[in-house]
Amino acid sequence: MSTAIVIGLNGLSYAFILFLLAAGFSLTFGVMGVINLAHGALFVLGAYVGLEVVARIDNFWVAIAVAALALAVVGFGLYFFFLRHLYNKIPEQAVLTIGIAYMVANVILWIWGPVAQLGHAPGFLTGAFKVGTLSFPIYRLFIIGVGLLILALLWWLQDRTRVGAIIRAGMDNKDMTVSLGINYGLVSTLVFLLGMALAGVAGMLATPILGSYPSMGDNLLLLSLIVVVVGGTGYIQGTMLGALIIGLLDTFGKAYVPEAALFFSYIAFLAVLLIRPSGLIGRKVF
Amino acid sequence: MGDRPDDVAKSDAPRGRARGGIAPTGKGARSFVETGLPVLAIGVVVLLLPLFLPTFVSSLVTKMMIFALFGMSLNLIWGYTGIPSFGHAAFFGLGGYGAGVLVLRVDITNFWLGLLFALLLTAAVAAILGFPAFRVFGVGASDNPIYFLLTTIAFGELLARAAIALRPITGGSTGLAGIPHPDLGFGITVTAGRYYYLVFVIFVVCLFIIYRIVNSHYGYALRGIHDNERRMQALGYNTWLYKYTSWIIAAVFGGVAGVMFAYFGGIMVPNNLSMITSDIAFLVVILGSTTTFFGPIVGSVAFVGVEYLASLYLPERWPLILGSLFVVTIMFIPQGLGVMILKLWRRLLYGAA
Repeated sequence: MSTAIVIGLNGLSYAFILFLLAAGFSLTFGVMGVINLAHGALFVLGAYVGLEVVARIDNFWVAIAVAALALAVVGFGLYFFFLRHLYNKIPEQAVLTIGIAYMVANVILWIWGPVAQLGHAPGFLTGAFKVGTLSFPIYRLFIIGVGLLILALLWWLQDRTRVGAIIRAGMDNKDMTVSLGINYGLVSTLVFLLGMALAGVAGMLATPILGSYPSMGDNLLLLSLIVVVVGGTGYIQGTMLGALIIGLLDTFGKAYVPEAALFFSYIAFLAVLLIRPSGLIGRKVF
Repeated sequence: MGDRPDDVAKSDAPRGRARGGIAPTGKGARSFVETGLPVLAIGVVVLLLPLFLPTFVSSLVTKMMIFALFGMSLNLIWGYTGIPSFGHAAFFGLGGYGAGVLVLRVDITNFWLGLLFALLLTAAVAAILGFPAFRVFGVGASDNPIYFLLTTIAFGELLARAAIALRPITGGSTGLAGIPHPDLGFGITVTAGRYYYLVFVIFVVCLFIIYRIVNSHYGYALRGIHDNERRMQALGYNTWLYKYTSWIIAAVFGGVAGVMFAYFGGIMVPNNLSMITSDIAFLVVILGSTTTFFGPIVGSVAFVGVEYLASLYLPERWPLILGSLFVVTIMFIPQGLGVMILKLWRRLLYGAA
């Protein structure tokens, strides 16, 4: 029983890592209809930038801020120069961002070399949290906390703010939104930047658990695709649901049926695409 | 060139006709000069190439032909039917693995049997995957294909994972290594030098078949679905069946490319089924152009050429170059090199367009 609780908690913290990973992707994909297949590679870039800052000035919070900022700058370039011109051209967006993903992964390899890096949790977050005979790393609890915070923030942004309303309106009918005098270009650029900044934060936060190596972007991208599709596109709570399902499925699967666990998330992915392409609690984006 | 009487006539012709190219004489003569001559010339050059040039060139050309066929098979569904599959490597890898497993695990070394088995395998898997795929794809090219893209990515990754998991059959993550030179039966084993001709013959045959398919009644129906699927339905076409069969045909030709690739490199790895290889097909098609028949050949020549140059001068920066190929193609030559070459060729033949 106690092992099941620990596995459950591990699954939960993995689910929140997945949520952080997929949140930025979900924001741009589900809300704006931009498919950014470079998301995984950019997430890794965020992790490496953060690690570099930690290595130089040894401050965890500054590292997170710099990673977010760096990715926002990259995201601005990506959106302003490329994706903005490919509105609603899905295959073109996909091909372009695949190219960007290759380039980013190779630049990471170029600058930081092929050796995997393992970030360390800052001093005050190391150690374990003990209840009776169970112990659980504090850093994983911290991840869950940050995940909840970001979930709340994005939920509020989506449902309670003008920006959220504009983005939803633009998704439904861009021309109409623009003709109402709304600067949709500005708002969508900002949301794209927010999504990228989130990827930076998440990349930095996840390294102590996932590690970082230049080619990990592909796997992370597939994970974010799975999470977003399973949970549902268009709503941030859908992403959370998808992350919970995939995180728990994967962790329990690996603990109890390791041979088959490799396929679980893909089978869930395909099943959802077939039965309800818009995801479990999403709305059909396209 | 502008002093020939035909050119004067052409400049007065309505725009619709001018776009098709104005012929000085009848249709047959025009298509011979415009299409037959270059095809014949390139064919002869490719056929005689190994006699005059070093081995590495013929190996490069072999690779070009393999990826050109791979790209053309994707173009059949993407360019003609309007179905941008993102997991086309699933069939490429399946073909290669099928032939390789038959040789290495079942000990049936005959090339033709391996080819046949691989084709049946890809056709069967495509037939199964086609049902869910087109359920997701829905109706109408105006629909956004994003969920279809994701589904086909998942197909490829699922098969790649299966290839990793089925270690006794597929060799696991290290791949299926040591596929021997093809044995054509009657005691003929194709050595490395002669493999070029085998690929050439198969490539030409496939090219001919694909050409006949896309220029048949069936092929025109596919183009109709690409342009307006609802209208094709209104005209009484069972568009689902057309999409489904074109998907299987494309898969089979992708499988042929995979078989040739397996014998070419002697090895298949799980990545040959996954996104990394699908990306190559995508690049070859979009670089070449989705709107011309021969586009993927141009795309493949450009891709393999750049890859070779990169491996000579900047091997460790290859992914960066590959990535920028994608970006440059999408941003600056979205119509593809094929269209550019076609325009250039027509201008050379008939004067300024």
